[in-house]
Amino acid sequence: MSITLDQITKRYQNTPVVNDVSLDVGDGEFFVLLGASGSGKSTLLRAIAGLTGVDHGRISLHGRDVTHMSPRKREVGLVFQNYALFKHMSVADNIEFALRVRNVKAAERRERRKELLRLVALEGMDDRLPTQLSGGQQQRVAVARALAHKPQVLLMDEPFGALDAKIREELRTTIRQVQRELKISTILVTHDQEEAFALADRIGVMNLGRLLEVGRPEELYARPATRFVATFLGAANLLLARQTADGIRVGTTPVTAPLDKLWDLRVTQREHEVVAVLRPEELALAASRDSLNTIYLGNGVVESTLFTGAYERLKVRMTEPDKSAACTDGNSANGSDHLATLDVTRSQHSQRQLPLIPGQTVAVGVRRIHVLPTPLSSYVVYAKSAAKIDALKTHPFLVELATRMKTRITSQLEPQLGARTSKEHTLTPLAGVAVIQSTSHAAADLDWLLNHGASEVLLLPDALVQPRRVLIHWTDDTVRHATLAVSASVLRHVAAEATYLNILPKQDEAQKSDGMRELLDARSTAQAAHGLEMRTELHFGDVASELSKQLATNPEQMLILGVSNVDDVQERFASLLKHSHQFPVMIVYREPQGVAA
Amino acid sequence: MSRERSVLPGFGLTVGYTTFFLSAVVLLPLTAMIIKASNIDHAAFFKLLLNPEVVASYKISFGTSFLAAIINSIFGFLIAWTLTRYDFAGRKFLDALIDLPFALPTAVSGIALTAVFAQDTWLGSHLAAMGIKVVYTWVGITVALTLIGMPFVVRAVQPALAEVQRDIEDAAETLGAGRFTIFRRIIFPTILPSLLTGFAMAFARGIGEYGSVVFISGNLPMKTEITPLLIVKRLEEYKYVDAAALGCIMLGMSFVMLLSINLLQAWSRRRLFVGKRR
Repeated sequence: MSITLDQITKRYQNTPVVNDVSLDVGDGEFFVLLGASGSGKSTLLRAIAGLTGVDHGRISLHGRDVTHMSPRKREVGLVFQNYALFKHMSVADNIEFALRVRNVKAAERRERRKELLRLVALEGMDDRLPTQLSGGQQQRVAVARALAHKPQVLLMDEPFGALDAKIREELRTTIRQVQRELKISTILVTHDQEEAFALADRIGVMNLGRLLEVGRPEELYARPATRFVATFLGAANLLLARQTADGIRVGTTPVTAPLDKLWDLRVTQREHEVVAVLRPEELALAASRDSLNTIYLGNGVVESTLFTGAYERLKVRMTEPDKSAACTDGNSANGSDHLATLDVTRSQHSQRQLPLIPGQTVAVGVRRIHVLPTPLSSYVVYAKSAAKIDALKTHPFLVELATRMKTRITSQLEPQLGARTSKEHTLTPLAGVAVIQSTSHAAADLDWLLNHGASEVLLLPDALVQPRRVLIHWTDDTVRHATLAVSASVLRHVAAEATYLNILPKQDEAQKSDGMRELLDARSTAQAAHGLEMRTELHFGDVASELSKQLATNPEQMLILGVSNVDDVQERFASLLKHSHQFPVMIVYREPQGVAA
Repeated sequence: MSRERSVLPGFGLTVGYTTFFLSAVVLLPLTAMIIKASNIDHAAFFKLLLNPEVVASYKISFGTSFLAAIINSIFGFLIAWTLTRYDFAGRKFLDALIDLPFALPTAVSGIALTAVFAQDTWLGSHLAAMGIKVVYTWVGITVALTLIGMPFVVRAVQPALAEVQRDIEDAAETLGAGRFTIFRRIIFPTILPSLLTGFAMAFARGIGEYGSVVFISGNLPMKTEITPLLIVKRLEEYKYVDAAALGCIMLGMSFVMLLSINLLQAWSRRRLFVGKRR
C-alpha cells in the first residue's frame, strides 16, 4: 500500500472535521476523494501532505510512518486549486524549484524540466512567466512542478476548480495520462462527481468528516450503502418502502422488482420499513399500466418537463394507487403525508414514443430498485399530548438528523404510553425510529414502546444537544449487529466521534484478554460490515454505572445502547435513563433469535 | 481607438483637471521658487552650494534619512509581518497605533523624543553611561526620522504581504524548501516592490522632515544641522534668495533619488505582473 491512513482525526474547536478516516490507496492507484465543501476532504489531503497536523491516527506513505514528519521530508507532490505558482519565477524556475533546493546539478535539472514539460504538453514555454500563461497552462506547470522531485504520491486539491469546462476536460485527460505513465499513487480531491467518475480507479465519498463509502465508480453508483452516497453520486429518488418476506412493497404495490440485496438487512425476517433507491433513469413512463413493459409502480401526474439535450428530465407526482408511497425527503415536519414526487429521466427515443406535457397522467414503472442497508428509515414521535408532540417534532437535534437523512418525521398521539403492559408477541412492528422525550418516567415509556413492537427508540432531552462523542454499547451479542448498523447510520449524520465501550464485570487477566479480543472483533465488524470507524475502550464494573460514569465526563455526548431483553430496561438501566435528560439515548432492541420465531 | 466607459466624466475633462490641479498645487509654487532662486548668479550659486556648512547639512539630511529608511524597512517589515500573519489580542489596537505618527504634529514627536532621550532623563542617563549620546547628535535625528517614517513602510508592505497566499508557501514547503529558503526565494522577492515603495516614501519623508528634528538635534552647525533647518535659518536672516537656492538644490537631489527608486521598483514590479491581460 502506498498511502495508508489509520483512524485519522482532526478537530477544530472540539468538532471533528476529519473523523476516524482509515484508507488504503494502492500503488499507482488514482483515488478520488469526493465530498461537498466542508466535508473535511481538503483537510484530510493537507494532513497527508503534512501541512495540517492530526489529533489522532497514523499516516504512512510506502510503509514509512510520516505522521510527525515535516512536509518537506514527506516526498509528496501537491497541486492546488489556485495553482500557487511562484509568480516572480519563470516556468523553468518554477519547475526546477524542488530540484534546486535539493542542489541538483544544472544539466540534470534542465533534462528533468524538458521531460516534465513534454509530459504536460508545454514544450518551449520554459522562459514564460506564470502571468503570461492561461489558467489551464498554469495548472499544467503546477503539475509538472509537483512531479519534479519524483514524489512518491501526488496529491491534488480541486485542481480543475478555477478552470472553465473545456479546458477542464483537456487537463483532466492530461492528468490521467501523466498519472498512468508515471504510475504514481494519486489522491485527488473534488466536489464534482463527473470528474470523480472520469478519473478515479476508486472513489471515496466524504461527508461531515467521515469517509462514508469507498469503491469503484460503477459499484458505488449501482449499489450505494448510504443515503448520502445515493443522492450525492448522481440523482436518486429515495422512497420509504416495506420489506416483507417475499419482496418489497412501495405503498400498497408489491414490487417484485429485481432487487439486489447486498446486505443481510435484519436478523429477523419480519416486515419492516426500508429506504429504497430508484434512479431516475431506471424509471419508465407509459400511457397506461398495460403498455408498461416494466414493473408497475403506480400512476402519477407529470408536474414539469425539462429538456437538457440528450435527456428529458421530468417530475412526476404519484397519485395512485396509494398515497403512502411517501418520498423520504421533503420536510414533513408539519406531519402531513407527502406524496412522492419522482425525478425521471428519459432518452430521446422514449421521448419520441410518448411525448408528455405537464398535467398529463402516466403510469410509472421501475426497472431496478436498490434497497439501502440502513436500519433507520424514518422517525415517529410518540407522546401523550399534542403539545408534547409539537415540541418534540421541532427538536433541533431531531430536525437536523431527519434533514440530513432526507427522511420524514411523523407523529402518533399515544395516551397509553408508559402504561404497564403484559408481554405479547403478536405485534406488528412499528415502522421507523420511535422518538420520545426523556423524562423521569422514560424507562416506562420505553418499556411500553418495546413491548409494542418498536426496535429503535430515540430518547431526546429538552436541552439543545450537539453530541461530539457517541458511546456505543450492547448488552450481548444478539444485538451487536443491529447496534453497529444503527450506530453507523447515526454517525453518518452527526459530526461526532464514536467510541465502543466493552464493559466486563471484574478485572482479571483472562477476562482482559477476552475483552481486548472482543474490541478488535467489534472494530473490524464495524469497519467491514457497516463502514463505521470507531475507537474502542475496555472498562470494568457494573454496566449501567460505568456508562453513567463515562457519560458524566462530558456533556456533549450521546449513547447508543443495544439490548435484547425488555426487562433490562426497567431493571438494569432505569437509573441511567433517569439521568438521560442530559444527553440523547438511542435504544436498539432485538429479540434473541428463536423467541421471535 | 475607443475608450471604455467609466464612472468619471470623460478622458478630456479628467486629464485637464489632473494637469490643472498638479500645476496649481505642485508645479506653480515650485516654479516660483526656482524663479526666485535664479536671481542669484552662477558663481554665487556654486559658492552657496559648496559652502562647508551647506555640504555638511546635505550629508546629515540625506545620511540620516537614508539610515532611518533602512531601519524602517527592516523593522517596518517585521511589524507588517506580525500584523498580517498572526492574530492576537490587541492586534487591532497595535494596527491603529501604527498610524499615529501620521496624525501627530511633528513638533509633538520632537518634544516627546527629547523628553525620553534628554540626558537628565532615566533612559538618556543610562544610555549616556554606556557612552551612547542621543540628543544633539545624528543618532537623535535618525531616531526622530525613524519614528516619522515607520508608518509608510508598514502600510506599503502590509497589503503585499497579505497577498502572498499561504498556498504558495505550502507549495514551496512540500517541494522541500526550508523556512529560510521560502523567505529568501518566495516571500521576499514577492514583496520587494512594495518594500521599495515604503522605503522611498520613508526616505522622502525624512528629507523633508523639520518639526520633530529641531528639538532633538540641537542644531549644531556642521554637526547636527539638517538642510531644512538651514533654509529656515536663511529665511530668518532675510536671505530669501539663498533660501530658495538651497531649496532648489534639495528639490533636484530628492527628485533624482526618488526617480531612481521608482525606476528600480517599477523594474522589480514588472517581473511580477508582466503579461497580457486576460
